[in-house]
Amino acid sequence: MGTNSMRRVTGTLFIPVAVVVVLIALCSANGVSLFNTGDSFLLLVRGVATTMLTAMALSINLNSGRFDFSLGAMATLSSVIGATTTLNLGGGFPMMAIVTLASGMLLGAFSGLVYVLLRISPMVCSLGITLLYEGISFTITGGANVSFLLEDDLTSFAKSPINMIYVIGAALAVMYLLFDRSRFGFEYRGLITGQAASVAAGAKEKVNAVSTYAVSGVLMSMVGLILASQMGYIEAGKLNFGTIGVMFTAFLPMFIGGYIGRFSNDKLGLLLGALCTTLIALAMSALNATSTVQSLTNAFLLVAFLIFLSNEDRITRAWRRFTRRGGGGTSLSSSLGEPDGATSLRGANTP
Amino acid sequence: MKISKKVALGVSAAVGLSLALAGCSSSTPSASGDGGGDPVKMCVLVSDATSSEALGFKAYYTDYIQSNFNVTFTYSDELADANAEKTAMEGFIANNCKAVISFASADRGQQIQMAEDAGIFYSVATGTLPEDQYEEFKDSPSYIGAIGPSLDIERQAGYDMAKYFVEEGDTTFAIFGGGIPYYIDMHIHRVAGMLTALAEEPSTTYGGQKEFGAILGKIMQDGTIKVADFSSDVYELSGYVEAWNFGDSAWQANLAGVVASQPDAILAAGTGFAVFGAAIAGTDIKIGDIDAYTEENKKAMEAGSLAYLAGKFTSINGPIFAATLSAVEGSPIRAEGDTALALEQGYWVATSVDQFTEYLAADTAENPVYDKESLEPFIGTDASYDEFAQFVSQYTFEDLVG
Repeated sequence: MGTNSMRRVTGTLFIPVAVVVVLIALCSANGVSLFNTGDSFLLLVRGVATTMLTAMALSINLNSGRFDFSLGAMATLSSVIGATTTLNLGGGFPMMAIVTLASGMLLGAFSGLVYVLLRISPMVCSLGITLLYEGISFTITGGANVSFLLEDDLTSFAKSPINMIYVIGAALAVMYLLFDRSRFGFEYRGLITGQAASVAAGAKEKVNAVSTYAVSGVLMSMVGLILASQMGYIEAGKLNFGTIGVMFTAFLPMFIGGYIGRFSNDKLGLLLGALCTTLIALAMSALNATSTVQSLTNAFLLVAFLIFLSNEDRITRAWRRFTRRGGGGTSLSSSLGEPDGATSLRGANTP
Repeated sequence: MKISKKVALGVSAAVGLSLALAGCSSSTPSASGDGGGDPVKMCVLVSDATSSEALGFKAYYTDYIQSNFNVTFTYSDELADANAEKTAMEGFIANNCKAVISFASADRGQQIQMAEDAGIFYSVATGTLPEDQYEEFKDSPSYIGAIGPSLDIERQAGYDMAKYFVEEGDTTFAIFGGGIPYYIDMHIHRVAGMLTALAEEPSTTYGGQKEFGAILGKIMQDGTIKVADFSSDVYELSGYVEAWNFGDSAWQANLAGVVASQPDAILAAGTGFAVFGAAIAGTDIKIGDIDAYTEENKKAMEAGSLAYLAGKFTSINGPIFAATLSAVEGSPIRAEGDTALALEQGYWVATSVDQFTEYLAADTAENPVYDKESLEPFIGTDASYDEFAQFVSQYTFEDLVG
C-alpha cells in the first residue's frame, strides 16, 4: 500500500478508532460495557442511520451556502402524511414508506421552489417553510399525536437491525451515485466551486437547487419514517419552531464527517461521523449519565471540534515543531496531511 | 401569465399565514344556551397542548362548555417557560380577557400578580399552589383559587400505584420520572410516593431514607433518580428514564436499557404508555401510569401493556370553570376569611379493561359528568363555599356516576 493510500486510510479511520478506544476504556474503567443490552446493535445502527441521513440532508444544502432550518418540519410533516394516509386506508408499512418518501420529496421540492422563486435568503426562507410545515402538520392532526403504538406492522420496521443496515447502504449508494457519479452531481460541485463558470457552461442553477432540496426532503422523510416506526407515534402538534432541534443533532457528525471526508469520500465521512456520535451516545447511556451531563458533553465536544477545525493549521505546525524537537518520528502532517487530489470540504462545512 | 416576485411572495405569505392560523387554536363566539349579552372571554394558559389529556380538556371547554355557557375560550400556545407565560398573559390582558384559567405552572406567582395588576380574574386548573404562594395570594380578589390534585394527592397516587404492583407480587421495577429533571412538582411527588411505598419493606431504602419527606428531599437535591441509591433485599430498581428526548440516541439507549433490564412493571410518573408502548411490545412488562382516560390508553389496557391507570377524567376542570365564571359574574365563591379556594380533586383508578371502558364512556367531552346541570347551581348564585367544597370533594366515579 502506497504512502498516499496509507494516509487516506489513517486519516479516515483515526477519529472513529480513537473514539471507540476511548469509549471502551472509559466504560471499562467504570465497570460497564459499551454494548450493555441485547438491543445495543439495533440502537447503534438505528442511531447511525438517522444521524447520517440528517447530516447528509443538512450538508448538501449547507455546502451551497443554504442553511435549512426546515429539516425537522419536513421529517414530521412527511411522516404525518404517510402515517395518517396509511391508518385511514388500512394500509401497511410499504404504503406508509412510499407515501412518506414521496411526500418528503415533494415537500423538499416545494421548499426549493419557494427559495428560487422568491430569491430571498435561504435561512429566512427555511424559517418560513418551517412554520408553514408545522402549521400543516398541526392542521392535519388537530394538534394530536398520530398514534399507532399497537400496530406491529408499522412499528416493526425500526426494530430490525437489518432494515437499518439496508437504509444506510441504500442512502450511501444513492448519494454516491447521485452526487459523485452523475451529471447532477458534477453540476452541483461546479456550482459550489465556481457558480458563474458553471452557469456559463450550461449548468441549470435553479433546477439543481430545487433538486437538491428535493433530495434533502427524501432524506429527512426517511428519518421521519424511522423515528415514527420506532416510537409508534408522531408528535404532530409542535408549533413555533418546535421541530428545529432535529437539525442540531447533525452538526457534530457533519463536521467530523467533513474532516474525515478529506481523506476518502464525504459520504463515508458522514457515515463515520454519525458512527462516532452514536457511539458517544451509547457510552453516555452505559455510564448512566444524566440528561444534563449528556447535553453538556455533546455541547463541549461540538465546541472543541470546531475549535480544532478553526485552528487546525496552528495545531499542525505546533505538532511538526514538537516532533522535530523530538528528533524525528512520524509527524501529524505526514500521517494525516491531506493526500494528493483529496476533495476538501473544509470551507463548505464551516457555517 | 408570468408570476411576478411580488405576487409569489404575497401568495406564499397568505397561504402560510392562513395555514399557521388554522393550525393555531382560535376562539369562536359561542352559541351558548343562555344567549344573554356578549360572551365572557376566558383565556387559558397551557404548557402541554398536544397530549391526549390536554386535547381532551380543551375539547371539554371549547366544545361543551362554550356551547352551553355564555363564554368563549382563547388558548395560548404551548408555553415552555416563565417568559413564554408572561408574554401569553400580556397578550390575554391586551385582548380583554375577563379571566385566565391556568394549566401552566412555570411561574404562577408572576401570572397571579399580572392578573391582579390588570384587574382580571385568575384560577388554577388541575393543579395547586405551593403553600407559601397560597399564603401570599389567598387574600387577592383576583385570585379565585386552585382546584385539582394537591401534591399530597400526587404522592398518594404514586404510592397507591406502587402498592398495587407490590400486592400483585411484582418485585422488579423500573421508573419513568417524566419531568423530574425540570423539577415538575407533580412528577417528583408521584415518584417519591412510589419509592415510599417500596420503602415500607424493612430492607428497602432510597438514599438511605424510608420516609416520604426525606426521599422527596433527596430527589429535589439530585434532580433525578439514582438507581444506585436504591437498596433492597426484596425489590430491585432495574432502571430509570426521565424526560422525553425521543430524538436523542443516548435517551433511546437508556430506554432500551430499561426494557432490557426486564422489570416486572414500569412505574410511570406520566405518559408511560406513550413513551414505552412500542419498546415493550412483545414482552411481559406491564406499565403503571398516572395519565388520562384516552382511547389510546384503553387500547393499551386491552393489549395487556397497561395494567394500572390513575387518570384525570375529561371534565375534571368543570368546577374551576364554574368558580371562575361565577367570579366574573360578580358572585365569587370564597373560602373562610374571604380567601381563595384550595380544593382537592383526585384520580379515577382503573386496573381492568372493564373499569377503563366504563370510566371512558361515563365522561366524554360531549357528555361530561360535570355537565351544565351540575355546574349551573354554582354560577352567579348565592351558593356557599361549603356547598361548593362538598360538590368538588365528590369527584370519584362512584360519587359522580354511581
